[in-house]
Amino acid sequence: MSVLPPDLDAAGFAAFLDDLRAVVGPDWVWSSDEDMHAYRDSFSPVWNTEEERHASAAVAPADVEQVSAVVRVARKHRVPLFPISTGKNFGYGGPSPNVNGSVVIDLKRMNRVLEVNEARAFALVEPGVSYFDLYRAIEERGLKLMLDCPDPGWGSPVGNSLERGVGYTMPHFRDHFGAHCGMEVVLPDGEVMRTGMGAMPGAQTWQEYPYGFGPDPSGLFAQGNFGIVTKMGFRLLPLPEYYRTCLITVPKRRDFVKLVEHVNYLNDSGLIGEVEYGSPLRAKMADPQVMALITKAGGVSDAELDAAAEAAGLPCWQVELQFLGPERATYENWTFARDRILGDIPGAQAIEGEHFALPASEHQLDTPQQPWPSAIKRRRSLGVPSLGEWKIVRDDGHIGFFPVLPRDGEAVFEMQRVLGDAMKAFPTLPPFFNALTTPLLWHTHTFQMVFAPSIKHDDPEHNAISHAAMKRCVEVAAEHGWGDYRASPIYQDAVADTYSFNNHALRRFHEQLKDAIDPDGIVAPGRGGIWPRRFRA
Amino acid sequence: MIRRDMLKWGALVPALAGVPGMARAQAGEGLDVLLLDTRFGEGPLDDMGAARVLTFAGDVTKVWYEHLDRAWRQPGFVVGGITGADALFVLETLARQQGRKVVARKALEVAPLAGDIAPVSWVIAPAHPSVLA
Ligand SMILES: Cc1cc2nc3c(=O)[nH]c(=O)nc-3n(C[C@H](O)[C@H](O)[C@H](O)COP(=O)(O)OP(=O)(O)OC[C@H]3O[C@@H](n4cnc5c(N)ncnc54)[C@H](O)[C@@H]3O)c2cc1C
Repeated sequence: MSVLPPDLDAAGFAAFLDDLRAVVGPDWVWSSDEDMHAYRDSFSPVWNTEEERHASAAVAPADVEQVSAVVRVARKHRVPLFPISTGKNFGYGGPSPNVNGSVVIDLKRMNRVLEVNEARAFALVEPGVSYFDLYRAIEERGLKLMLDCPDPGWGSPVGNSLERGVGYTMPHFRDHFGAHCGMEVVLPDGEVMRTGMGAMPGAQTWQEYPYGFGPDPSGLFAQGNFGIVTKMGFRLLPLPEYYRTCLITVPKRRDFVKLVEHVNYLNDSGLIGEVEYGSPLRAKMADPQVMALITKAGGVSDAELDAAAEAAGLPCWQVELQFLGPERATYENWTFARDRILGDIPGAQAIEGEHFALPASEHQLDTPQQPWPSAIKRRRSLGVPSLGEWKIVRDDGHIGFFPVLPRDGEAVFEMQRVLGDAMKAFPTLPPFFNALTTPLLWHTHTFQMVFAPSIKHDDPEHNAISHAAMKRCVEVAAEHGWGDYRASPIYQDAVADTYSFNNHALRRFHEQLKDAIDPDGIVAPGRGGIWPRRFRA
Repeated sequence: MIRRDMLKWGALVPALAGVPGMARAQAGEGLDVLLLDTRFGEGPLDDMGAARVLTFAGDVTKVWYEHLDRAWRQPGFVVGGITGADALFVLETLARQQGRKVVARKALEVAPLAGDIAPVSWVIAPAHPSVLA
């Protein structure tokens, strides 16, 4: 499926590729169908349809000088580039671009861990460094630092954080963009810029003070298209001494509201790590009566769910808490959490779970011994990269819609009902939003819920349903003030469109900036729903 | 050179898939590592002629992190496997990043696991000039 860059004919494309080869060497430019297969989004719901976005070529520079030179070549030929770090953005577009015919600038060769500083708890890495690479660098040097990784560890701190990806340890580290500190960027004219203290020659604090002086533009490079990031610093968590877990259950549906308030308090006070909300009643979902109840149009009442819980002899909700820190502190934090919640919610119960000193042994990582069926994934909770999570991928992959909602139990009930009702139009999909769907506390201070319908390469009808459901979810959610946090290129315009306050003032501002620094759309035109003049016309 | 290797390993795949008798005993010849996904049965863990056999149960993390990632940083190194298609997807994606590709694959006629995970036999060999032996 060969495509050409916009406004370029075959001869122009060949000349462009020759110029690229002159920069990076002939072995590091690809354009054959076979090679470009790797740059398709294998999780695409529009796989093999007209809507699928294809890159025309890929180029892999070795260093920042080559990145600049590639950008200058692209500028000369007016070819859009699409930067990727490790290109594992599955569920959100994989390595595929917004604009057909874009050239992927694949930064996998820039894979040096430039610095890991134990005493000051930071790392500085290039884009091709994966979480595994950084973990290995820490492990091999025996440094007492903890990573915060996404579920699959093969992505990169740079690519993941530029997508505002998330992890599973302490609140301020789970928000990966929030935990970055300082970046180096190649701008759309090929110029190299550093943010924060990196802008001051001789400063030793690039990874310690993110702002420097004056406006900090680093936010523009996350989910944006204002430059190609070639280095990025990250704050790391000093390896905690101890890990401790517990389970708290509450009996009634409405107890969830108070439970959330307590967990918010614990989270915001820095006393707990990532939490896993759940409902013990999910164990009964195979029972048709329970299923009918939790997917009932208009939602369930408190009385109905309470009756179902009572009949099953189960509490309505549970939360698994995780504590990281000095052993005594984790103990005090756990008893504090227990006393606070049990003292306020009648019928609440607490069970003490596993606890041990860190670093965990392989046995502790691989064989959790919780006295309850646990949703905690041990490796990710302890910042140990893994690929085991791949087992949740079914069919040929999935697409993801993770609406942001208030950290409030009532808001959770409302989203369960509203999106549950809206998704009844797609009865072949699993009921992602039902009366037992619980929120995720991934980002530091907000809830999200999961909608992730699968895709199948050989079933276009199924994919069309997932695709239509996805678009509908975005619309209905926005009507209630719930926005998607991250989207694949085929949905980015629709999602950006929902952030429309004051006649799309935010988008107009982004467009003004884009027109000023990249009117031809050399860097990822369309990413984040931001189109330069050339493509708006 | 690359083409010759591809033909060689391509021919191996049906043998990896075939299992019985002599064919099985020699199936892994020339492989630096043979990976077996024990979700499809423990089986007799002979080496089928491969230099080394590594096993895992669906999750490739350890074999990749402890063995393949290091080996794939050097030129050469041919890996064969009989694994779930899901594990192959992960390995293939990792291999590409390190200049390698699946040069042959064959779906095996064995009942899929729950979740429709089908077994497949395959060979991953160096492809990019930077990692050719
Ligand atoms: C089963 C499963 C579980 C997952 N779990 C998680 C999870 O727990 N947390 C999570 O966050 N994600 C998760 N994901 C999504 C995704 O796999 C990860 O976020 C992954 O880390 C993203 O890929 P990457 O790191 O290779 O980034 P890349 O694909 O390299 O980059 C992502 C995007 O950022 C931009 N970009 C990348 N590099 C640059 C650069 N240098 N300059 C400018 N722009 C750039 C590009 O637009 C690119 O498309 C999951 C996916 C699956 C399938």
